[in-house]
Amino acid sequence: MEESEDVPKDFIKLKSEKLSVDEVSELVVSPYCGAVSLFIGTTRNNFEGKKVIHLEYEAYPSMAETEIKKICRDVRQKWPSIKHIAVHHRLGVVPITEASVIIAVSSPHRAESLEAVMYCINTLKASVPIWKKEFYEDEYSWKENKECFWANSEK
Amino acid sequence: QVSVLYFARSVELAGLRCETLSVPRQITSLQLWEEIVKVHPRLAVIRDQVVFAVRQEYVLIGDQLLVLQPGDEVAIIPPISGG
Repeated sequence: MEESEDVPKDFIKLKSEKLSVDEVSELVVSPYCGAVSLFIGTTRNNFEGKKVIHLEYEAYPSMAETEIKKICRDVRQKWPSIKHIAVHHRLGVVPITEASVIIAVSSPHRAESLEAVMYCINTLKASVPIWKKEFYEDEYSWKENKECFWANSEK
Repeated sequence: QVSVLYFARSVELAGLRCETLSVPRQITSLQLWEEIVKVHPRLAVIRDQVVFAVRQEYVLIGDQLLVLQPGDEVAIIPPISGG
């Protein structure tokens, strides 16, 4: 079996349907990899004492995909042994406990994929144009990631 | 003429998701912001929190000189909250 048949790939998807951990991990599995690392971002039911009913996500789709591709490129520069990367983000309404984002990375050994997954989610929160609206019982709020590179620099 | 795209809180303040706007071909990002606020004054409240994305590259509101082509996409980007 030629390793060239298993060319490293990036799988990026923004979708409104429920995300599947099985689907995302299967995308990155490779016979050359002994490790698949996963991050699942799920919706919490509370924020600062308020009950969260659900979340709604919106995106600038073309730019979000481009920014996620840049993250994948950076990951491959920092950890050259990484095989496949999958980033699935849900848009629209996400009920409590369901996943809003799933990131999966495969590598021959575990250290690289574990570090790469952390880098992916941290950088996504800092640079990908996706917004979350949190709905409480009687109001809603547009959230702001503390990682957002311009919101904090103004303060 | 450029396409202006609004997202998140800026949609609520501007009342729409996209429109075309006529602006000079060369303009600073601050001047571009001021043109947009002329059309949608309610956007002024988020001035300190937003950046632009011009042709899908982030641009801070300030002195940066933009060279715009007809049909370019300019997006108003409030603080992000993906993930």
